[in-house]
Amino acid sequence: MNDRKKVLDFVTAAGETMLQNGAEVSRTQQTMEIMAKSFGVDGFHGYVLTNGLFTSVGSDEECPAQIRSVPQSTVHLGRVEAVNDLSRRIAGGAVNLDSAFQELEKIKNIPYVPASQQILCCGVGSAAFSILFGGVWQDGVIALFVGFLLQILLLKMSEWGVARLLTRFWGAIFVVGMTLVLFRTGMGINTDKAIIGALMPLVPGMALTLGIRDLIDGDFLSGVIRMLDALLTAACIACGAGLVLLLAAWISAGVMPL
Amino acid sequence: MTELIVNLAASFVSTVCFALLFHVPRRHLWCCGVTGMLGWLVYWGMMQYQSSAVVASLVAVIPLALVTRIAAVIRKAPVTIFLIPGIFPLVPGAGIYYTAYSFITGDSAGFSTKGTETLKIAVALAMGIALVMSVPLKKPAHISKKSDR
Repeated sequence: MNDRKKVLDFVTAAGETMLQNGAEVSRTQQTMEIMAKSFGVDGFHGYVLTNGLFTSVGSDEECPAQIRSVPQSTVHLGRVEAVNDLSRRIAGGAVNLDSAFQELEKIKNIPYVPASQQILCCGVGSAAFSILFGGVWQDGVIALFVGFLLQILLLKMSEWGVARLLTRFWGAIFVVGMTLVLFRTGMGINTDKAIIGALMPLVPGMALTLGIRDLIDGDFLSGVIRMLDALLTAACIACGAGLVLLLAAWISAGVMPL
Repeated sequence: MTELIVNLAASFVSTVCFALLFHVPRRHLWCCGVTGMLGWLVYWGMMQYQSSAVVASLVAVIPLALVTRIAAVIRKAPVTIFLIPGIFPLVPGAGIYYTAYSFITGDSAGFSTKGTETLKIAVALAMGIALVMSVPLKKPAHISKKSDR
């Protein structure tokens, strides 16, 4: 029989790791319950939201309980998968509590993909998307460069601690502005395809997907939070893009000298 | 034919790149790529026969979500790992841009058309995922309770 306080510590930390790195609410809750049960603790209760979790064990007077605030941070699906794998092994009885703590510590330190590869991927992904949406290769080349620079900007902004919604807004401004500037070289053919390709890294695909899954699972509060996040992100992108387009229209109409 | 190959290659590459941006483990990357490619293949095929992006998105997201569930069981990983990158080609990024564009250019008819379409695509994706996720999958006995979710 494990010490229930220690089990609660572990289970809460594992849940926090999952939630922080982009697991959906019901999955986090379920994994925590399974882990607690596997360690022989009865009466475990967890309540998980998009940005926080509450856990307790038992209902007697000295029942230990914990609260964690889990602010939005960088998504790392590799860590989610690793905790999932750990919980499966715990359920199989292959891992004891002490080594589970050690493994969780290791999971928390799984490195991010190196910045250089992120930049490369963002560029190549943007280029592929602009071709996918009907652009020609010249548009792809422009999206490639804008994508490289966009990821550098996004990494810098997260370093500076800019709010996530604002990074989408500035990102969209940058993408549209940069693409329009690059089109002045006369290289691209379809401005819109290049812009859309380079905008794709900003699009709230993940918030949308997780929001839907939360809603299906009946976690309405968390689902609504995610959906609102998706909607606001889309609005931010539209505002940023619109602002630059407006500016460009004014310049080309001669309202503003350039 | 060339168009098909270009489409397949571009959807594969873009999905893999985005999976990496979400730090999906390298051994799962190709699975994400195949998921995204399949979704786009169905979408693209649908667009050849009819013109509604909403219908095409709905039809495409169903096999896509199904494949992510199967992949999750086979690869023993959460569905999310395959679903988040795989769905990206279908997410209405173009819709967001064109909505903003028509708003700025004062094309209010275009604005409402594009805006509604974007919203409808999002709802279609939601419905498609909901449809697939609500079907219970029979689990192999050796895999623990939550591996197929």
